[in-house]
Amino acid sequence: MGKVFKYTLVDLARNRFVLAYAFLLLLLSEGLFQIEGDPIKALLSLVQVVQALVPLIALIFTIVYIYDTQEFTQLLAVQPIGRSSILGGRMLALGVALVIAQVFGLGLPLLVHGRSIAAVLLFGSAAALALVFSALGTLIALKQRDKARGVGIGLAIWFLFVLVYDALLMWLMFAFSDRPIEPLVVPLAALNPIDLARIAVMLRLDMAAMMGYSGAVYKEFFGSTVGIGAALGIMAIWIIWPTWRCFRFFQRKDL
Amino acid sequence: MDRIVFQGVGKRYGRQWALRGVDVTFRQGEVVMIIGPNGSGKTTLIKCLLGLVRPTEGVITVEGTVIGNDPEYRRSIGFMPQISQFPPALSIGQLLEMMLDVRGLKAGETDDRLISALGLDQQLDKRLSALSGGTCQKVSAALALRSRPRLLVMDEPTAGLDPVSARTVLAHAEEVRAQGGTVLITSHLMEEVEALADRVAYLQDGELKFLLPIAEILQRTGAPRLAQAIPLLISGSV
Repeated sequence: MGKVFKYTLVDLARNRFVLAYAFLLLLLSEGLFQIEGDPIKALLSLVQVVQALVPLIALIFTIVYIYDTQEFTQLLAVQPIGRSSILGGRMLALGVALVIAQVFGLGLPLLVHGRSIAAVLLFGSAAALALVFSALGTLIALKQRDKARGVGIGLAIWFLFVLVYDALLMWLMFAFSDRPIEPLVVPLAALNPIDLARIAVMLRLDMAAMMGYSGAVYKEFFGSTVGIGAALGIMAIWIIWPTWRCFRFFQRKDL
Repeated sequence: MDRIVFQGVGKRYGRQWALRGVDVTFRQGEVVMIIGPNGSGKTTLIKCLLGLVRPTEGVITVEGTVIGNDPEYRRSIGFMPQISQFPPALSIGQLLEMMLDVRGLKAGETDDRLISALGLDQQLDKRLSALSGGTCQKVSAALALRSRPRLLVMDEPTAGLDPVSARTVLAHAEEVRAQGGTVLITSHLMEEVEALADRVAYLQDGELKFLLPIAEILQRTGAPRLAQAIPLLISGSV
């Protein structure tokens, strides 16, 4: 796995898309810190931008990369190495390349302008989201033979997590506004990795008050040790589950 | 001695059988050309052997080992695919080093003559994204032959190659045979088949119609060339 990882990472390090992604993040982060005078306000804006952009880029880039390197995957698969080594090396390299791009594009501006626990949380959640959506992207690319269809499914999944899921939660809260629905909304929101990441950073920025009663419930739950453990556990499941499915599927996939 | 044995091998994609009931043996020290119309199952047969595709039924044995999840049997195999695509940002040199590393070989344990014979040694720093289709094929051939394979599988090896390079690659394939290796080649070019092959396997609709020595094909049909003999044999008019 180490050898496949090493050379895939060397390839990705020179990939124009990865470099463009790092520069785009750098431009956005630095721009927001320059435009907003207050680092807290800049962080708030950055949370919204990053948690929509990172999943989108991780999903689509992974899907396209897996499709575009199919023939090379075949060439690796006829060498005396196991399929799990090939997939493991490639997935790890993709995840690491995306996170390294985020270190330059997001980590550096955060280090310069917004050194705080919230900034660490923002970077950590962005890294976790990159891994989650890269794993989901790999799963889509492995299961769908057609590239256009794969990209379409990726976009639909991103749309679902970023917009549709939140809209459904909002509808639920409005429809049952006369009842104490918040205790149900908290676990539901936590099931969406993007929401989970957003809530974690918002709470650290003391924005719970802006979120009304839900904010208080979020703060009570995620402020506790159990809540933090649950949040980390759910995020880990979001990384492990699609990765495990990828390994299972790739073992018996016809290449 | 038998090097590869297919026993009742079949592969089904959905309801469609791409390969069915293939019983065939490939011996050491021979070149076998696998021919057949498009969609006849040639690529599926090769992919089953390489472990890229899992047969729906049957067993494949390579050098006495039933192929399964253990990738070790592929150590003796060199494969040149029809379409070569490599990580675009790597250079030719990095790719050669990577494959050496992946196969667990050290410098000096490989046969690098083809790299220089094809002029690749002058282009080691060139990025793979900048290569023409023909040069990609040369890289692919070098990768397949570099590890001194006992079993060489080539899918349309001369497609996209200039005549001189094509001859060079096929000469190295003949060398593998001379050293007791087994060479399986798919091709549509009958002249190429006739010049190189010991036996010809003909596939149609996923079934192996025949596997015969070239001399026997010509003798049975009475045709002077393979290009004329094969249609006669398929039509059953002889």
